[in-house]
Amino acid sequence: MDIEKAAPDRLVPTRQADRVGAVKLNEVVPRRHPGRWVATLLLLWLAISFAQNVATNENFHWDIFAQYVFAPQVIRGVGWTILLTVAAMAVAISIALLLVVMRGSDNPILRTCAWFWIWFFRGTPVYTQLLFWGLFAVLFPRISLSLPFGGEIVGLDTKMLVTPAVAAIVGLGFNESAYLAEIFRAGFNAIDRGQLEAAQALGMRQGRIWRRILLPQAMRVIVPPTGNETIGMLKMTSLVLAVPFTLDLMFATNAIANRLYLPVPLLLVAGFWYLSITSLLMVGQYYLERHFGKGVDTIRARTE
Amino acid sequence: MNAIMTPPRSTDAQPCVHLQGIHKFYGAVHALRGVDLTIKRGEVCVAIGPSGSGKSTLLRCINQLEQISAGRVFVLGELAGYTEIDGRMHVLAPRRVAEQRRRTGMVFQRFNLFPHMTAIENVMEGPVQVKNMPRAEARENAQALLKRVGLAELAGRYPSQLSGGQQQRVAIARALAMEPEVMLFDEPTSALDPELVGEVLDVIKDLAKSGMTMMLVTHEIGFAREVANHLVFMDQGAVVEEGDPRDVLNRPSNPRTRAFLSKVL
Repeated sequence: MDIEKAAPDRLVPTRQADRVGAVKLNEVVPRRHPGRWVATLLLLWLAISFAQNVATNENFHWDIFAQYVFAPQVIRGVGWTILLTVAAMAVAISIALLLVVMRGSDNPILRTCAWFWIWFFRGTPVYTQLLFWGLFAVLFPRISLSLPFGGEIVGLDTKMLVTPAVAAIVGLGFNESAYLAEIFRAGFNAIDRGQLEAAQALGMRQGRIWRRILLPQAMRVIVPPTGNETIGMLKMTSLVLAVPFTLDLMFATNAIANRLYLPVPLLLVAGFWYLSITSLLMVGQYYLERHFGKGVDTIRARTE
Repeated sequence: MNAIMTPPRSTDAQPCVHLQGIHKFYGAVHALRGVDLTIKRGEVCVAIGPSGSGKSTLLRCINQLEQISAGRVFVLGELAGYTEIDGRMHVLAPRRVAEQRRRTGMVFQRFNLFPHMTAIENVMEGPVQVKNMPRAEARENAQALLKRVGLAELAGRYPSQLSGGQQQRVAIARALAMEPEVMLFDEPTSALDPELVGEVLDVIKDLAKSGMTMMLVTHEIGFAREVANHLVFMDQGAVVEEGDPRDVLNRPSNPRTRAFLSKVL
């Protein structure tokens, strides 16, 4: 029993050691892969020639790229794009969580409402939805709470509430929530039913069970596709010109490009920033996956 | 502990679990056909019988993981799941059901440990989340419980790093952490490799010796003979024979019991 317990730690040899205790380890000669070296050299050669061509090609106007990549209106665009992405995803995630709980509920009213929300926001184009959010203040000039046939209790001008930024965030967030709800549902469905029963048997209540037992396990399945959706959202923010919201990165670079009659370097500026933000998001995703892989990734680590 | 939070402990005279005419239908399938059963305080009640005889279903009715179709379940004198008014069964609020479940501990065939928590976190989860026990105190209790099931050194391991027998012992500690008055075991050794069965049975045996009231569903007839003081033989959704294990196992009076025992002994 004692030996068995100690074994997993002791039997892991360091790479150089040729013996563990009294055991002489096999001397293993790894397989050689000459093809990989050839392929590497070939790809490197291709990559370098391509990079050299792009770098020296005058059609790319790298001087313009350098001039505008950190320009104030571009940086402001980057800031707004990140803000829109984060805010819209925050709205989407909150609503999606609510939708998932509603769809799993005993209450038929909640189930039906969630179903209709997903049906509607997934079934209409996001561009159309953004146009409508932009027109919201025109369609409903005043939002008020009033008694039927009676006077107004409270009310305010819609323009004060639904500003272009709010319209953009709500439009993107509501649309995304429908997609995320389905991703989340898949994550929760992947959990063994025994987990719910074990938590119920401990006397835990539904809210705690969702938060402590189901959500952390679902996250493992949910995070990778949600990372995907976040990156998708980053680029979907360029659609907010439908609102019209005119401060995001794509609009800013397009505006400069139209002024200079030089679309290519400004597209490179936009691409550079989108790629940079995506890389940043991927780092975040890596840490999230590591956190929620607790208790599962340990198996992988041991068998490798 | 807050006095209001502590459920009233049943007296010796009162049965811990009392089942009255339990029926269970799954659609057209009649899984339980009018089961009556009483488990007294300190009793170790073992249910045996062929697969599909309804013994697991019956066990799961006690802590309301299954909803019964007819009959009454009383746990520690309290009607489980409903308030009866003028012969009609009014469904209890989820909060009340959760409170009732706290008084029973359950151990599952497939362990059902929470995979994202270490062994000790699994054991602490109930007391911290349900009883609002301070973490330090819960950790201390959990450590003591893990020691009791022989796993003190493995407290920091995740379930995936434990053998089946070790996982099941953590699951027993997790159930005990809620200080239940009745323990329910649903085939606790059926998913284990043969050489790991013993370590789990030893823990259950110790628990029985400590006077814990429990009901076990098992296929381990030898174990039933050793620890049970109340044996129930079920077949086709009904209790066919029950009584002292030596009597039932050595001199079964019912032909169906005899037929079953001749196959497994």
